[in-house]
Amino acid sequence: MFLLFIENFLISLSAIFANKTRSILTALGIIIGVLSVTMMGTLISGLDKTFEGSMSWLGKDVLYISRWEWFSDMDWWEVRNRPRIRPEYVDQVKERSQYALAVAPVMQRGASLSYSDKEIRTQIFGTNEEYMETISTNIEKGRFFTNSEDKSGMRVTVIGDGIKKAFFGDEEAIGKYIKIDNMKFRVIGILEEQAKFLGLFSTDKQAILPFGAYKRIFSKRGFMRLSVKVPEDKIEEAVDEMSFVMRHIRGLKPSQKNDFAINQTKAFEKQYNTLKIAIGGTGTFITLLSLIVGGIGVMNIMFVSVKERTREIGVRKAIGATKAMIMSQFLMEAVTICLLAGLIGLLFAYLGSFLLNKIFPSNLDLGLALFSILISMFVGVISGIIPSYRAAKLDPIDSLRYE
Amino acid sequence: MTLISLKSIYKIYNVGGEEVRALDGVDLEIKDNEYLAIMGPSGSGKSTMMNMIGCLDTPSSGLYEFEGEMVNEMNDNQLASIRNRKIGFIFQTFNLLPKATAQHNVEIPLIYGNIRKERRVNLASEALSSVGLSDRMHHKPNELSGGQRQRVAIARALVNSPSIILADEPTGNLDSKSGHEIMDILDKLHKAGNTIILVTHEDDIAQHAHRIIRLFDGKIIEDSEL
Repeated sequence: MFLLFIENFLISLSAIFANKTRSILTALGIIIGVLSVTMMGTLISGLDKTFEGSMSWLGKDVLYISRWEWFSDMDWWEVRNRPRIRPEYVDQVKERSQYALAVAPVMQRGASLSYSDKEIRTQIFGTNEEYMETISTNIEKGRFFTNSEDKSGMRVTVIGDGIKKAFFGDEEAIGKYIKIDNMKFRVIGILEEQAKFLGLFSTDKQAILPFGAYKRIFSKRGFMRLSVKVPEDKIEEAVDEMSFVMRHIRGLKPSQKNDFAINQTKAFEKQYNTLKIAIGGTGTFITLLSLIVGGIGVMNIMFVSVKERTREIGVRKAIGATKAMIMSQFLMEAVTICLLAGLIGLLFAYLGSFLLNKIFPSNLDLGLALFSILISMFVGVISGIIPSYRAAKLDPIDSLRYE
Repeated sequence: MTLISLKSIYKIYNVGGEEVRALDGVDLEIKDNEYLAIMGPSGSGKSTMMNMIGCLDTPSSGLYEFEGEMVNEMNDNQLASIRNRKIGFIFQTFNLLPKATAQHNVEIPLIYGNIRKERRVNLASEALSSVGLSDRMHHKPNELSGGQRQRVAIARALVNSPSIILADEPTGNLDSKSGHEIMDILDKLHKAGNTIILVTHEDDIAQHAHRIIRLFDGKIIEDSEL
């Protein structure tokens, strides 16, 4: 049987290469199908990777207490009427909560940063010395500000890697003064570079200021949130407790609804999963469609091939080929076309992911490549089966007479 | 020794509601190493007869015994196997595979017979040498003359040492010189002990045989030894 297998494979190759244009056109559908399988897989695994990278900055074990829920369909006026989160809460939460490991107030606004003749518009953050515990980015160089620097309103700042590069290039930045909305601040630390997720949530272009200085200079009444780090294995309990603590601080009666929100990165995950399902669904649909169209093309060409070679089939049967042998010959031909198409598709996908990798982390993994090859062979079997069966059951006498 | 025995063989087709008796009660015995010619005008049933003997077709009724095996009871796979092992076909139009070399064309019956590569190559070369084509083994059919193509076909028919060689108008597409060459080869094969069955409508070709059977309207009307 193995002899026949090799023989059939050689017959397939010679049949395919004898009609190059036809074979390429036939293969095109499968090539596109395989390309879309692999590119979709690559895209999703790339998205996963970047999303995880960004999420780790936000931190799974951090609760964000603010006026509004992330991704909520609540009406805006309801949210607007909620009381603000106040700086005093930091100490109150620390005092009452047993799960809170670190509590940082965070205020945020847009500002213009400049150094000599360079200028950047970006986000500045006002917070306390516990902030670093609520994000997973580390200090690359220098140090974070201390509690006493915060309390005494010192004008110091910790800047993101992106700002450092834009302002100072390879020069030393620590100890230099930059202007934030025309106020001088001394740079005392630089954050390490961060993976980016479509430019969202990156610390690379942030400047972090002590809460005291921020409040005094930029905003007495700005919006504020609390970042609360809690034990990773006690998140559910911590959410319940935090809700209780906040209700207590706010003095809510049991009948009243919460007038604050406790957000988790889970909300982002939910949102992200919706996006992923949308991309995956669309991709799967396109893939299926192109594989079906490709498969129909292969089936069509196999019918032509069987018709053209009717006489050959007759001769082969006369000299001893069984139905199964003829069937396997044509099935092999269909599978070989699809296999070659799959390999070509994979080559394009590899080039594609290589180019895509320049703007987005994308690597074609081996499992996905094998999967797409299997898929293309499967299409070959499915679309080859009817034409091959037709070839197998041809009557040898009629086929020998066929002109 | 009796090689083939046909007993009251009928082959009845239904063409447009009308019954056509392609073979109408044929009895025939063929012995080992006979040289037989089947003759008859077109429509006499000689093609059906050949297909029947060649195990490409099965009778509507009757008994067909080939070396003690009952062909009329066989299924498709058994028929394919008996064609592969015991019958060598030679066609009027050669019927070689155009993209394969002479060598490969001759190897095909051996591939279906599941014979290993080395042995296959040896057997095919031997068969090609025996028809005088040892210098043309790697040529494709379109690089060969008509006579040479038919010799490749003979080598293909010979290669698995069949019990009978069935030649259907083997010289029909050849000029007279090539035709003579082919007939010389068939004569030689007969002398070497092969059983040969010729199907032809040409008298001078039939004269090579030692026994002539004439068919008319699906019946044997003459069976004469020369």
